[in-house]
Amino acid sequence: MTNETPTPVTMDARDLQQLAEVATLITAARDALSDDIVSRVSGALSEGITLLDRLTRNEGLMRLLQVLDRQESQQLLVALSDAIHAASQDIAATAPATGGIGCMMRVVRDPGTQEGVRLLSVIGKHLSHSLREQHRRGSV
Amino acid sequence: MRILVVGGGTGGTIVANNLARRLAGEIRSNRVKIRMLSASDKHMYQPGLLYVAFGQMMPDELYRDQQSLLESCIEFHVDPVVKFHLDQNKVVTQSGKTYEYDILVMATGSRIVPETIPGLAEGAETFYSEAGAISLFKKLREFEGGRIALVVGVPHKCPIAPVEAIFSLHDYLKARGIRDKCTIKYHYPIGRLHTIKEVATWVKPHFERMGIEHETLFNIKEVDVANKVVRSEEGTESPYDLLIAIPPHRGMEVIEQNGLGQGGWIPTDRFKLTMNGHDNVYVVGDTTNLPVSKTGSAAHFEAEVIADNIASQIKIGAPVRDYDGKVYCFIETGHDSATYAMFNYQNPPNLKEPNKPMHWFKTSYNKMYWTSVRGLL
Repeated sequence: MTNETPTPVTMDARDLQQLAEVATLITAARDALSDDIVSRVSGALSEGITLLDRLTRNEGLMRLLQVLDRQESQQLLVALSDAIHAASQDIAATAPATGGIGCMMRVVRDPGTQEGVRLLSVIGKHLSHSLREQHRRGSV
Repeated sequence: MRILVVGGGTGGTIVANNLARRLAGEIRSNRVKIRMLSASDKHMYQPGLLYVAFGQMMPDELYRDQQSLLESCIEFHVDPVVKFHLDQNKVVTQSGKTYEYDILVMATGSRIVPETIPGLAEGAETFYSEAGAISLFKKLREFEGGRIALVVGVPHKCPIAPVEAIFSLHDYLKARGIRDKCTIKYHYPIGRLHTIKEVATWVKPHFERMGIEHETLFNIKEVDVANKVVRSEEGTESPYDLLIAIPPHRGMEVIEQNGLGQGGWIPTDRFKLTMNGHDNVYVVGDTTNLPVSKTGSAAHFEAEVIADNIASQIKIGAPVRDYDGKVYCFIETGHDSATYAMFNYQNPPNLKEPNKPMHWFKTSYNKMYWTSVRGLL
């Protein structure tokens, strides 16, 4: 144990200048604010909190986000983004469909279409399995 | 377990939403069902009416659809209850339907009854209804000077409102440049300036600074509309050019009609918040006969206790909390400053000097209310 008296905190002119600057900043912010601004910001904050609360307590959405966060899902998301982009370009560049069996056959013969149908069918199979499982557990 | 909430005001809505959060698992597995019966599909932020009266808020800012404020698992019906059969655990609604329950939450609220004082409805302006607040605003806009009298009926909701109205009135007239052409006289029914002793002591120097005249022990007897005079039960009278009244309140008629409580106030256990003699009936907000302010704040703190206790009854078979009488009231001290009063059964309020950040806190709360009533804040 020592009886040393603690050194008092000293402030030089530069510290005081900085404090004065902070005080000026606070006063400026206070003067710049109005009831309307406070009201609008609070309104947005209130709605934002409510939205966040609803989203974070939405079990399905949270599961979807978890799945989309996985590495393999990144590939799917990139592929989906590319596909949407390419599809929008294809649609713009292609003449309107003439209809009829011949047109339908051309679409069906396309390997890309077959891959797409296969993907949808696999998703459908898993979706159906998951729904059945949730019904069985009584959570839906 | 069937939980029935009667009334969709602040207290009822917070109880229902808090229960939906606390009992999410039980609701998902169909072991608990929450129903709400209300007289309206709209929910009003009532403290906003004071701002409407001074042109600081528009009436449409005060309303939300009730359904939008409720958790999606709560079954909501606009069908007010007309009969309570507490001995049979069921209620009958206006449409003739019967709803059975295991736990009932009474949140029917209160109403203004200016008609109980002769001349008050015809002669006085008030800000306790949307139409009244708009009418008062228009009267104030046209007012060019003269005597303004503020009178207070008992009992009334939001005990701070008379004081806030005086502060707002002073600032409003000053902003219009006619304060020196007006006198403002404050009348209060008991022997001091406010029912809460600390508020009375705090407000006195403020009234003196603003040049507010005051008369205590003034219980409104009648308003002589033709001669523009308001008279008291104590035998005094005040002339006025503009009369502003805090109207007397009563509980809802359905409570009186069913013999559940004198004046529409239900006898309530001050700690458990259950109706006396009925352990499965909880009472929240204005509907209680508790010796606390009839304010949204009291309803809020009561609602949290009720929701906690109903949830714990269901989960562990026992309540976990008592209500300590907590109330937190903002006090707007004009158009750019505010303070607050917080108190409970044991501790009186300790009022601080008003300042602008508190005013912004209140301004923020006017918007955050919707988050609060959803059970988030």
